Amino acid sequence: MIPRYTVSELMAVAVSRELRDGDHAFVGLGTGGRAFVNAVGVPSVGIELARRRGLDVVAQYGVLYEPDLAHPPRCFADPYLIRWPAKAHVAVDEGLDTFRRGTITVSFISGAQIDPYGNLNSVAIGPDHRRPEVRLTGPIAQTDHAVYAGRTIIILPHARRTFVPRVDFISAVGYLGGPGDRERLGLPGGGPSVVITDLAVLRFHPVTRRMELESVHPGVTIQQVAEATGFEVVPPREVPATLPPSPEELRLIREEIDPHGIWLGGGAR
Amino acid sequence: MPSQTKLVSLEEAAEMIHDGDTVALGGHTLRRHPMALVRQIVRSGKRDLHLQGWNNGIDMDLLIGAGCARVVETSYIGMGHLGLARNLRRWAERGALEVYEHSETTAIDMFRAGSMGLTFLPTLTPVGSDLLRANPRLTECRCPFTGRRYAAVRAAEPDVALLHAHRADRYGNVQLDAARWNDSSLDPVIARAARTVIVTVEEIVEEDVIVRDRTLTVLPRSFVTAVVEAPYGAHPTACDARYAYDLDHLGLYYEASRSEEAFRAYLEEWVWGVPSHARYLEKLGPDRLRAITPREEDR
Repeated sequence: MIPRYTVSELMAVAVSRELRDGDHAFVGLGTGGRAFVNAVGVPSVGIELARRRGLDVVAQYGVLYEPDLAHPPRCFADPYLIRWPAKAHVAVDEGLDTFRRGTITVSFISGAQIDPYGNLNSVAIGPDHRRPEVRLTGPIAQTDHAVYAGRTIIILPHARRTFVPRVDFISAVGYLGGPGDRERLGLPGGGPSVVITDLAVLRFHPVTRRMELESVHPGVTIQQVAEATGFEVVPPREVPATLPPSPEELRLIREEIDPHGIWLGGGAR
Repeated sequence: MPSQTKLVSLEEAAEMIHDGDTVALGGHTLRRHPMALVRQIVRSGKRDLHLQGWNNGIDMDLLIGAGCARVVETSYIGMGHLGLARNLRRWAERGALEVYEHSETTAIDMFRAGSMGLTFLPTLTPVGSDLLRANPRLTECRCPFTGRRYAAVRAAEPDVALLHAHRADRYGNVQLDAARWNDSSLDPVIARAARTVIVTVEEIVEEDVIVRDRTLTVLPRSFVTAVVEAPYGAHPTACDARYAYDLDHLGLYYEASRSEEAFRAYLEEWVWGVPSHARYLEKLGPDRLRAITPREEDR
């Protein structure tokens, strides 16, 4: 019997299956609150699961290299963050230069809008940037992730207002207008590889570079995904269910990696 | 010739800033922003400031909400886990504020270029994105050797840089504790790009303390115009191992920033109506300050 699991656990396991031996992964630590689980928690548990499966993955959290992912601080305020055991704590400009150096093979990003080519917007909603309908936070380092990382894993809540035909502002480039655009501009990174949401796993077609549905999470229908996506995303073929977490993966998450629910349970402050 | 003292009051420091100045702010998200100086700028009614930073939060949001800013230039203005910066939202959405869109590294590069005395630095970061059309500091260029496509980041040359640090001597030799979170490691770079540098510190110490731990000096006095003693001067943002961000106060601020009227009431209660930093700390009270300060054995 397959035990019950949460969607965050399923997403973390999906992340772990995306990782490869020798990856240097970058996770931003900036986001808190509701966005924390998707932006930090899911990638962190995914990385630790991959490591426990025997993959050698270096995880960089901005200024920290290889913090102890099974023992995160209970509170992410500085006095506690500073004491989080890690292999290195570098200056931030040095930490971000790893992008430009081409060291980062995989990184995790998100946004308020995404289009079929994986372009992301975290700046402003509305046609006029000088007078937006909704002003958002700004590009943060997502522009860097998108240009330089070997590949990006995009983690988002699945909603029609998020998955739009055209983003209002490109703050992180995906495949821009389609095949060949990244190469024409000389962008060094590989671009988006996968989108993991609370409903489905979506991947970019190797030729058209458009996003398409790869699998739906158990219990979710293809119809539900189509309705929550503002563009055509269902491919003309059978779409399987996302592989659920194994009992051993669930045991690792619950007993060893995240027993206090700091990563996936919203337990972080 | 003895070293010249650079110790001034918060009020004197704020008068080094003029209407229309480009003002760079140190710190990161909700950590180690020069908040005592920010509140003093609001009290002294500065206008039309062009604010620069690389990752900002309540520092810029407060100056925007108090009507001090005309342009903001950074990669992020948000309230961390609380959510969007609501003064930024209100002012940007009614077209009353110009925003130059930076990635973290293009913002870092504008300060790096300035600190090196260069007029620009090349980068690939904004290539292909809309940052190029929403930031006058970025433009396309080519590598003169290889012809490769780049973007140029124009150097920042702030009139004034405002930082908060852990300690300094009265001559302006500024130190950071070894126990620090390095997202604020850019502060000295920001300072070295600026003409006037004002640093508030948790404590003014004797010169021999600085000499004893000289590897902790991040800004020698040549780079510093003025130092101000302002304990808890980053409140309500965090100050590395010395104190955490004040979640209660940030929550109160966030609620108040929901409307123009409520925010004016906040400014009246916590800025305009509190004549000095010492009175601000009194108003917070010792219990509040104790609550955000880790016990000695936890540091």
